[in-house]
Amino acid sequence: MKENWGKSKPWSIMLSALIIMALAVTGCGGNNDKGSSASPSASVSPSESSTPSESGEPAESESNAPAEKVKLEFWAQKFEESTDAWFKKWTDEFNKTHENIEIKLTIVPGDAWAQKMKAAQAAGKAPDIKTISYGNIANGAKMGEILPLNDLIDATAFDDLYDNVKEFVTVGDKYYAYPKLVEPSAVLFYRKDMFKEAGLDPEKPPTTWAEVLEYGKKLTKKGVFGFSIAQNAADLGWSSWGLQYNAAGHLAITDDWSKADINNDGYKSVFNFYQQAYQSGIMPKQQLAGYTDIKPFGEGKLAMQVIGSWAIGQLRNSYKNILDNVGIAPMASIDGDQTKPTATLGGWTLAVDGKSEHAQEAASYISYLLAGDPNIMIDFFKGSQFSKFSARKSVDEAMKVDVDASKDTWRALVAEKVIPYAKAEPIYPWDISFALSTGIESAMRGTSVDKAIAKAEKDINDFITKSKLAGTNPKS
Amino acid sequence: MKTNFRYDNKAAYALLTPIVVLLTIFVVIPFFYAIKVSFYNWSFYQESTFVGFRNFYMVVTDRLFGEAVWVGLKFALMVVPAMLILSFLFANVVKNLGAKYSGFVKTSIYIPTIISGIIASVIFVFIYDYMGGLANYVIGWFGSEPKAWLADVATALPSIAAPAIWLGFGFTALIMLAGLHDIPESYYEAADLEGAGAFKKMWYITIPLMRNVILYLLVTGFIAQISQFELSLVMTNGGPLSETTTPNLYILNHFRNDVMVGNSIAASLLLFVVLGSISALIFRVLNSEKAVDG
Repeated sequence: MKENWGKSKPWSIMLSALIIMALAVTGCGGNNDKGSSASPSASVSPSESSTPSESGEPAESESNAPAEKVKLEFWAQKFEESTDAWFKKWTDEFNKTHENIEIKLTIVPGDAWAQKMKAAQAAGKAPDIKTISYGNIANGAKMGEILPLNDLIDATAFDDLYDNVKEFVTVGDKYYAYPKLVEPSAVLFYRKDMFKEAGLDPEKPPTTWAEVLEYGKKLTKKGVFGFSIAQNAADLGWSSWGLQYNAAGHLAITDDWSKADINNDGYKSVFNFYQQAYQSGIMPKQQLAGYTDIKPFGEGKLAMQVIGSWAIGQLRNSYKNILDNVGIAPMASIDGDQTKPTATLGGWTLAVDGKSEHAQEAASYISYLLAGDPNIMIDFFKGSQFSKFSARKSVDEAMKVDVDASKDTWRALVAEKVIPYAKAEPIYPWDISFALSTGIESAMRGTSVDKAIAKAEKDINDFITKSKLAGTNPKS
Repeated sequence: MKTNFRYDNKAAYALLTPIVVLLTIFVVIPFFYAIKVSFYNWSFYQESTFVGFRNFYMVVTDRLFGEAVWVGLKFALMVVPAMLILSFLFANVVKNLGAKYSGFVKTSIYIPTIISGIIASVIFVFIYDYMGGLANYVIGWFGSEPKAWLADVATALPSIAAPAIWLGFGFTALIMLAGLHDIPESYYEAADLEGAGAFKKMWYITIPLMRNVILYLLVTGFIAQISQFELSLVMTNGGPLSETTTPNLYILNHFRNDVMVGNSIAASLLLFVVLGSISALIFRVLNSEKAVDG
């Protein structure tokens, strides 16, 4: 017995060593997709954080060159393919022309962004440069997640911005990000041929909410729905901001963030409009695609669709055969006054991470890409089929000379009739927008408007009290 | 007489070490760290501040969290019993098939198990599509109007339960089958001699002897289904309203949207308590017993 054991001992040690190795390998790999286990946040952060560790550090070992190269991480959220290609192209160009800086671009899919970013931040490996939307800037600045750029980017670069957009990136008296583009959240796309068939004038899209409902009824027939707009709380949360401004003149809470401000006629009209649109049967009972996707319209299943201006790019790339029959107009206003806001201006900016060790170099990349040669930005707007809009005066000036841009009537319409009246996105926590949009959705599904508003009001006020929100608006 | 084995502590420790080390690194340490963090306003760029039970208070008083747990329970109550009954019946059928056929059938029902939940969700989104989906096409044969399967408050959760049953069915059926094969044939022969019918045999022999198998499937099934989130994430994103927001989807939404992380960690720990109590309850109601076969 003893001898036997003596012989098998090395085997058992080797075996356990093998098991350790095998488990270590599978353990590390397997842990990432175990998000569904009981405590995802606890298990995800330490394991995921180990993945981006290849970055940065090994740079020192190869530093034979006299001037040490600064290596920077840049995470861009995944957008249309043309945008990703544009980021790659001009980042390569930057790396070629700047000997001492190397930008490493990583494109991160939108639904993985928050998890990946939080994991990296927890491990202190957040990227030096990142894309950030206007709505997140104020909070990011408050939390110290992004750095003020006043000392890092030339002041003239900020003077080039339109005044309302400049406001979007300002917190206190500092600029915290540099804008890349703006895009209105709601524009009306309609089918001219279907208008004609239904006896409507294809050159006269609806201008009031009542007309939208009326036209929608006329346009609905077998296999085609007359109208489509966001219809679930997650989409409504942000896509209804424009209409809230339109009817009520303000958003869901008071400026000092102390209480909900939705128990009024303006908000009742907003709830009523969504409720009638859904209940009258001119909208599909189950959405054919998410709010940001114009596919069902492109496939001829919808006669009118409210969607952001980005849909221009998708239409032009994927549904070329119907382009002649597509009309585009500002979203209708409650009373037909088209100088009232109907959309909010969303959009993306670049910012420098609050813990970046090479803030100056990071800022120089941002100013090269977004604030430098107008042609770099024009290249981007062309790639997006002019579905996005410039935040810089000089780029628009240069674009006027450009043949493609100046001929584009859709671009002109959005730039002249939608953007000037559009408002900034709110910066209060998402929970508030979500509570409100849950109210809108429940009204669409049959709750009375008064009840839905009362419940949303209570939810918002509860949230404000619980999270001690009153008086914390960083912009007031 | 000396026993012909001896306690071999060294080998035992050597074999236990890897799993203990891994569990410590990936489960024990994160778990205690999470408990600590749940008492803080945790941010990565500023000093964390101690807030006591505030995060827990926020979660417990959040109407949506209560609703999410309730949704998770409803979902598990739809999926688990249906899955157990179906796979029990199915396993009985397979048991009596010839070896050739049963091999084929077993393989084919196991296929859904190896399909990822995300892919299953996408397939079922197509099936439930409002215009041109298979489900509405089929009910169209009977002259029914198209239904908003995933957008109607009444049908959304059952519509998500269907793919969950489909995904878990193969696994439970195979375990049930193994359990069935484990019941000595002689019991049934004896019952035959006594003149017991098929139902009597099932009630007095099969089900009592399958008790531990069923208990295992119940506990794991409940936990897996209550923590389900990818189906509702892909198919409905928690909607309509919060009808399909399962607890884990609630936590994920907070993790993604909140500026501070404390809230989602507190919610995770509370969910851990909820799952633990449900398992304890099932164990209490259905005591596991040592098998009494011969």
